[in-house]
Amino acid sequence: MSPVTMTIAAQNTGSEGTPSEAAPVERASARPWSRRLMRPALGLALPVVLAVAWEFIVRMGWASGRLAPPPSVIFATFVDLARTGELQRHTLVTLGRVAAGFGIGVAAATVIGAAAGYSPLVRRLIDPSIQGLRAIPSIAWVPLFILWLGIFEASKVTLIAVGVFFPVYLGLMGAIQSVDRKLVEVGRAFRLSDVEMVRRILLPAVLPAYVISLRSGLGLGWMFVIAAELMGASEGLGYLLIDGQQLGKPAEIVAAIVAFAIVGKATDWLIVLAAAPFLRWEDVVRQD
Amino acid sequence: MLSRRHLLASAAAATLMPAGLARAAGKPTEIRIDWATYNPVPMVLKDKGLLEKEFEKDGIGIRWVQTLGSNKALEFLNAGSIDFGSTAGSAALLGRINGNPIKSIYVFSRPEWTALVTRKDTPINKIEDLRGKRVAVTRGTDPHIFLVRALLSVGMSEKDIQPVLLQHPDGKIALIRGDVDAWAGLDPMMAAAQVEDGARLFYRNKAANTWGILNSSEEFLKNYPDLTKRVLAVYEQARKYCLANYDDEKRVFMDVTKLPGAVVDIQLKERTELTFNRVGPEQRDSILQAGLALQQAGVIPANVDVKQTLNDLVDDRYVGA
Repeated sequence: MSPVTMTIAAQNTGSEGTPSEAAPVERASARPWSRRLMRPALGLALPVVLAVAWEFIVRMGWASGRLAPPPSVIFATFVDLARTGELQRHTLVTLGRVAAGFGIGVAAATVIGAAAGYSPLVRRLIDPSIQGLRAIPSIAWVPLFILWLGIFEASKVTLIAVGVFFPVYLGLMGAIQSVDRKLVEVGRAFRLSDVEMVRRILLPAVLPAYVISLRSGLGLGWMFVIAAELMGASEGLGYLLIDGQQLGKPAEIVAAIVAFAIVGKATDWLIVLAAAPFLRWEDVVRQD
Repeated sequence: MLSRRHLLASAAAATLMPAGLARAAGKPTEIRIDWATYNPVPMVLKDKGLLEKEFEKDGIGIRWVQTLGSNKALEFLNAGSIDFGSTAGSAALLGRINGNPIKSIYVFSRPEWTALVTRKDTPINKIEDLRGKRVAVTRGTDPHIFLVRALLSVGMSEKDIQPVLLQHPDGKIALIRGDVDAWAGLDPMMAAAQVEDGARLFYRNKAANTWGILNSSEEFLKNYPDLTKRVLAVYEQARKYCLANYDDEKRVFMDVTKLPGAVVDIQLKERTELTFNRVGPEQRDSILQAGLALQQAGVIPANVDVKQTLNDLVDDRYVGA
C-alpha cells in the first residue's frame, strides 16, 4: 500500500459514521487480496520467461541442450527422482543436517552474542578472538574437520553450525549495542524493572536485526551443507549433485540445485513467517 | 550501441556454445590430452616430450591435464576441456549412454586395476558381507561398474549397501581412516593400501576389468582425423618403449607419483599388460558384457540398446597397424 492510499484509508476510517463513505474503505481492504496473488506471480515472471526461452531454443535445435538441459528434461528427471522416493529421502536428510547445524549454531551464537553485546567485559574478552576466527573462510575448516570428526554427520553438522554462528553472533551483538539510548531512558523514566526492561524495550529493539541475522545465517547454512556433502556422503542433496557429476548427468545436477533453491527459499520464508508477529510494533515505511 | 550489442552477442555465444565449436577447422593451437596414475603410457610420453616434438613443426602446443578417474576424464571430454581422455572401456560406454559424444579409439592397457578392498581388521571376507556396509566408490568408473557386477553376482544391488561417493584417492583415505568398511579400489592407490596399510583385496576378478581405453570427442575426430592418427602413432611409440624399458617406465612413474618401488611393481609389473592397442572383438565383448550387466542392475535404463551404443562408441580406424 502506498503512503497516499494509507492516508486516504485513515481518513475514511476516521469518518466511518457516514454510510456513503464506507464503500471506499471496503475497496481499499479488498485490493490487497488481488495484489497478494499478483505479487508472487510477478516474482515468477523472470525465471519462467528464461525457462521457456531456453526450452524453445533447444526445441528449435539452435542449441543441443546436452550440457544445459532444457526445463522439460529437468522436470522429467525431477519427477523420476520423486517417484522412486529418492528426492524426498535426500531432501529430508539434507534438511535434517541444516536443521541440526542451524540449531546448534544459532543457540551458541545467541548466548555468546547476547553476552558480548550486553557486557563490555565479555566483549573485550572474547570478541577479538571470535572476529579472528570469523576471518577464516569456513571452507578452510573442511580438511581439519575430516581429520577430527570423519566424513559423516558429526563433521557435516559442525561445519554448518560454524557457518551459521558468525552472522548470527555479529548481528545480535551489533543489535544489542545499537539499541536507541532514548528508548532505554524512557524505560528508566517509567521505572521498569530489569526483567521488564529486557522484555519491553531491549528485546523488541533487537529483534528486527536478529531476524535478519538468522536469515543470513540460514543462507550460509545452506551454502555449507553443500560443502559438507561434497566431502563424501551416502545421502543428501549434495550426494545427488555428485552422483550427477560422476555419471555425467547434467539434468540430475540441475534437479538437485532446483531442490536446494526450493527448500532454501521455503525455510527462509518460514523464518519470516514465524518472526512476523514479533515485529508488528515496527513503525517503518513499507514499500509493499 | 552497436558495439555493445555485438559484445553481448558474442558473450552469449561463447557461453552457449561448447568450447570445441569455437575452435575453427584447420588446425588447433594446442592439443589437450590427459595423464593419469592409472595410465602409465602418457607419463612416459610427457617425460620424453614425444608429443611436443611431433607437433612442434606445426606450431601446435600440447597441454597436459591430470584426470583422477574415468569420471573426470569423461567430464572434461564432455565439456570440451580435453581432446583425449583415458578411461575404462565400460566407463566410456556408460558416458556415451548418458549423452557424452565420445569415441573409443585406442587401447592403452589391459589392467587389473580394480578389486574390492577392505582393511585387514574388518570381518568382511566375501561380497555378501557388504550388506548394509558403507562402501566408498567413484560413480561412472571401472571400480563402480566392478562393484555393481560383483553385487549382482550374489543377487544384491547398490541398494543393499551404503555407497559413499568419493574420488578414488579420497576413497582410499576414508577406508584407512575407518570411515567406510570397504572400497571399490583403483591402482595405484589400491596397491599402496595393500603395501603400506595391509589392506586386503577380498574380491578379485580380472575378467571384469574392462580395459584401459583412450577416448576422443566426436567433434575433434571429425575436425582433425589426421592429427588424431599422429597422436596415436606417438602413443604407440611410448607404449612400445614401456614394453622394452620397464625400469625407465618405473622410474618415470615413481618420479611423478612419489610412490615406493614395491607399490609401482605391483601395479605395473603384476597388474598391467601393455601388449594391446586396437579396440578389437575381445575388448568389445568385455565392454558389452559390462554394459549388459549394468543394464540388468538398473544402472543403464532398460530401453537403451547397449549393443548399438557400443557400435557407435568404438572407432578403431585411427590406430596404425
